[in-house]
Amino acid sequence: MNCNWIKENLVLYIYEELADDARYEFEHHAQQCLACKREVESALDFKSALSIQPVPEIAPNLLTASRMKLQAALEETEQSQGWNRFIFDFAGWMQEIKLAPALVVALLMAGFAGGALTSYRLGMARQPQGATGQQPPVSAASIAGIDSIVQDNTSKRLVIKYNTLASQTAEGTSEDPQIQRLLVMGSSDPNHADVRKLSIDLLAARSADTEIREALINALRTDGDAVVRLNVLESLKSFVRNDVHVRDALVEAMMRDVNLGVRSKALSLLFSVRADTSVREALKVLAQQDKDDFIRSEAKRVLANTPNLD
Amino acid sequence: MPAGTAVIRGAVGASGQKINSHLAGAMVSQALGRINDSDLIRAAQRGDRVAFETLVRQYDQAVLRLALHLTGSEADAQDIYQEAFLKAYRHIGNFRFECSFYTWIYRIVTNLCLDHLRKRQTRKEDAPVITDSAGQEIDLLDRISDDRAMANPERDLMARELGAKINLALGRLTPRERMVFELKHYQGLRLRTIGEMLNTTEETAKNTLFRATQKLRNALVAMR
Repeated sequence: MNCNWIKENLVLYIYEELADDARYEFEHHAQQCLACKREVESALDFKSALSIQPVPEIAPNLLTASRMKLQAALEETEQSQGWNRFIFDFAGWMQEIKLAPALVVALLMAGFAGGALTSYRLGMARQPQGATGQQPPVSAASIAGIDSIVQDNTSKRLVIKYNTLASQTAEGTSEDPQIQRLLVMGSSDPNHADVRKLSIDLLAARSADTEIREALINALRTDGDAVVRLNVLESLKSFVRNDVHVRDALVEAMMRDVNLGVRSKALSLLFSVRADTSVREALKVLAQQDKDDFIRSEAKRVLANTPNLD
Repeated sequence: MPAGTAVIRGAVGASGQKINSHLAGAMVSQALGRINDSDLIRAAQRGDRVAFETLVRQYDQAVLRLALHLTGSEADAQDIYQEAFLKAYRHIGNFRFECSFYTWIYRIVTNLCLDHLRKRQTRKEDAPVITDSAGQEIDLLDRISDDRAMANPERDLMARELGAKINLALGRLTPRERMVFELKHYQGLRLRTIGEMLNTTEETAKNTLFRATQKLRNALVAMR
């Protein structure tokens, strides 16, 4: 038992992780070696010093509020099980055999191939043929993908195999999870501005849901319509304080949005969290460098009203 | 005759040695607790929300205490609490009893806390004090009940200054170091349990604790 061993196990000793026999040897050496004894005392002082700040007990109000909030959320949450007892837990099995990366890739490839094949078959089944073999015009929006292009060398005729999308209809209220999923997809549809607008308007009423909130944040970042982005800001304002993703998205909008109205709205919504480090830093940059006079003066005004925490 | 009594009698009879009645009582309580937990877990897996809420009540104070001490914010602690138990509810069907429910739930909580610490590190927030849900700061040292505080304001001031230095030093740890140190020093967990919760080995947890304490000791010495 030497001093190096004492140093290596000092932390285990002060946190009572040493086995009984090792602890005995440790204490025996520390009693006899002055340098090690001082080291142990210093480490124990350090541990005591850190205990000056105890872990605070939870206030009853906080606990009660948390429980009530959880209870309300549980009522709206579905378990992703119930049938799991009767279904082979493939993900759990993958975790156990630790082949997750390779099998995930294999699954993805199988899924993609299966989806492409199904789309191809559906497209082939529904594709109408004219009497003379002429193909009716196909809308670009309904084409899922091009499978193959073959050219006849003699006649120079091209044979192109392509897949088409099959149209489906879903009905339900905005509380229906499937409807919500479709609305989330609709909110980022690049081809239909009206679908995007309506999806976002409907989703804005349900911004308490985390996934929907993420879709709204995405719309704030990517939608080309400033009115849509303003509506999204309005729907996210209640979450600025508590959701760091919302706060980050608002900072980004304040800094970079091309529309002055969106930028000033984001700035005004960030007033309540102006003490946040990243918000303050962003405001400082705007106050010093922004090209727009209004944004610069507003940023200075907000900073002047911010307590100095440094 | 109650099952607990039968267990005690069996232990005494088999070995011929007397077992300390207090220890035996604790063992029985622990065994009964595990049996009760298993029943609750299985009921929750069948979709029994009341059973799940009963399970939550056994662990939620500890979870909230951990999240509050790590984040320094009541709002963030509530978010972690909410997200952890919702995740547990959604995925309780995947719980295969390969570890205790306590370890399983703490695994979820520690991952969420680590995510929070990583985000905070990126944003360079130090959170020197706890904030309540209205954003008002709460000084931790106000919560220490000390009859002598008023009689010795200088000591009180020194304690506050040390507290601020400790928070600053803790803020300099990596998220993983902070997490391990929190679980060991403030929550009092064994390194083996910490390793299980963080999905690593006891040895790795020990090395992380070693680095964390070294950094803290060096930081506190430098601040004198």
